Amino acid sequence: MKIGIIMLRYPPGFDSPVMSGTIDLLTEWGVRVDIIYPEERVIHLSKIKPEHDLYVLKSRTEMALAYAGLLWGAGAATLNPYPAAAVMRHRISAASMLLKGGVPVPETYVTAHPEQLTDLLEEGPLAIKLYRGTGVRGIHVLWDAEEMDDVPTNQGPIFAQRFIQRDNPVRKLYVISGEIFGVAHPWLARNSEEKRGTPFTITPRLREIARRCGETFGIETFGLSIIGTDEEAYVVDVHSFPDFRGVPNASLRLADFIYHYCRRMMRGEILPGALPSRREI
Amino acid sequence: MKAVIFGPGRVGCGFAGQLLRGSGHEVVFVARNQAMVNHFNRVGRYLVRLVGQGRTEEIMVEGIRAVWTGEPDKVAREIVDAGLVSTSVGFRNLAEISPLIALGLSRRAEPVNVISFENFGTAASYMRRRVKGCGPEGCNFSGHGFSPALVSRVMSERLGDPAGNEPLIFVGDHPDEFVVYGKRLVRPIPEIKGMRVVDNYDAWFQKKLFMFSAGHATTAYLGYLKGYHYIHSAIRDPEIREAVLAAMREGQQGLMAQYGGDLAGDEEHLLEIVARFENAALNDSIDRVGRDPLRKLGKRDRLIGAARMAEKAGIEPEKLMLAVAAALYYCDQDDPSCTPIREELETIGPDKVLREVSGLNPGRRLSHGARRIFAKLLEKGPRSPLLNLEKFFWA
Repeated sequence: MKIGIIMLRYPPGFDSPVMSGTIDLLTEWGVRVDIIYPEERVIHLSKIKPEHDLYVLKSRTEMALAYAGLLWGAGAATLNPYPAAAVMRHRISAASMLLKGGVPVPETYVTAHPEQLTDLLEEGPLAIKLYRGTGVRGIHVLWDAEEMDDVPTNQGPIFAQRFIQRDNPVRKLYVISGEIFGVAHPWLARNSEEKRGTPFTITPRLREIARRCGETFGIETFGLSIIGTDEEAYVVDVHSFPDFRGVPNASLRLADFIYHYCRRMMRGEILPGALPSRREI
Repeated sequence: MKAVIFGPGRVGCGFAGQLLRGSGHEVVFVARNQAMVNHFNRVGRYLVRLVGQGRTEEIMVEGIRAVWTGEPDKVAREIVDAGLVSTSVGFRNLAEISPLIALGLSRRAEPVNVISFENFGTAASYMRRRVKGCGPEGCNFSGHGFSPALVSRVMSERLGDPAGNEPLIFVGDHPDEFVVYGKRLVRPIPEIKGMRVVDNYDAWFQKKLFMFSAGHATTAYLGYLKGYHYIHSAIRDPEIREAVLAAMREGQQGLMAQYGGDLAGDEEHLLEIVARFENAALNDSIDRVGRDPLRKLGKRDRLIGAARMAEKAGIEPEKLMLAVAAALYYCDQDDPSCTPIREELETIGPDKVLREVSGLNPGRRLSHGARRIFAKLLEKGPRSPLLNLEKFFWA
């Protein structure tokens, strides 16, 4: 069994403990795991071909996504399918799909010119985000029209969502092979313990949101950022392969699922890109 | 000597066939699947891959052939001059092959031993009754030996395609010992590598069932609750590992009271069992080990049997009851063997299921313990990320 994990090389001391543990377990179980750093390669497009039974797209970079796309095009099997990962990275497409899938997202707007958002500010502040990306990087809250000048206009379409007061702590839903885990951590976690967060109970409403999200993108392993109350929860971010920090035995669970998925793939029980849903969320 | 093996499956090929061939005996398989018969007669060999403890051993079992169950006369002719007949078809299929064995035995001049590699306590006596019941008029089978066999090896899977020409591969772990019941065998007893002839077979059987099998099943059912797919993953979960060790310890304490410490073994023995569960090369899935919960919840089977023996010894079998509740909850949608128990739970409820399947009266403490945990599983659901087996149990 050969598995390729597409990653970004971390500076010393900043590697993902969950992923390291997962790789160690898979290796111990006899899997050949190759770490692939697309940023450190020159890729010859006409020569690209799958060399592993399964790929896992861990990195969020554009280069990694491009590399995953090339592999996908060449028929590679990917745990987190390239189309889903690509859509999740594109906030406009992701929000649109989530809405169609019945997943609650804050009111969402797209415009080329920030001043066109002025009227919307009368109903409350807006969160302006980079249209490509995930996480908190590049998020800017517009409270009134005077702040329009702070919005960068050279980074493509402007993605705006109705600002909802963030809870502190931030809540994340992590899904591994249909199992859902809730982890809350401070908005700006200062140390590894805070980053690991604390578990919280998944309510039926949150379970339903996670289920719909998985169905929308056709994936079984992913992460969601949630804001709002349990009754009025909104999804503000989706990630096809988050760090799963704070999930109990995350490395073991991920290794188990990756191993299981790869074996089923090799036996032809599932096709590349298709995901089994043996266990309902 | 020729050995006729009914059932060329994982145990038949990967264990019995390999040991018999390795002991210098001729091996003939009897199969109901014609594709398997054709394959063995065409290819004439198969591979046994033994994995674990950081090493892999591959043994090519050569010079084998097969006959089809659809040709009774051919099967009987093989039995007539065999030095041993064995079965590894699964307890439920013994009835189907009994007439064939009866036909072959009825034509023999000399007694022979029939060994059932079924890991089922009553397999051999059941076989004797079936054979007696379907033999020709006036035929006396009492001279033949019928012994069960207790297999130590875990055989997890078969690889390869019987339609092809490549040898099939049977994957298992290294242990090669099996225990037979000396009092049920007739002489001469064939020489087979790994065979241990004992006179206290029931004790040995319960030893395997109440420690290894109970631990295996506990790993599978708790692993299912926590969403794992493989035994080797589930056993690495600290909570599950602790619960499995505790469940096996409960079984061991019951055995110790019943048979003494020499047979029951010590803590080291339990850790060796857990180390076998960690063997990822077996690819042993939760689905395979958890299969057929209805049978595994039987009165004398691995969980209830172990719990009863522990209780008799004054031990509270808490973790065995946790496993029983998890087994009740286990209902893999892909596994038809779960349908009966699911239906019974829906129609008659857990109390009656425990009474009818496991022989536990609702008033009994064991039944109450399992029912209480099962009710909590239903109420809270098994997949809570906060599932903590210890807290869960005591909550």
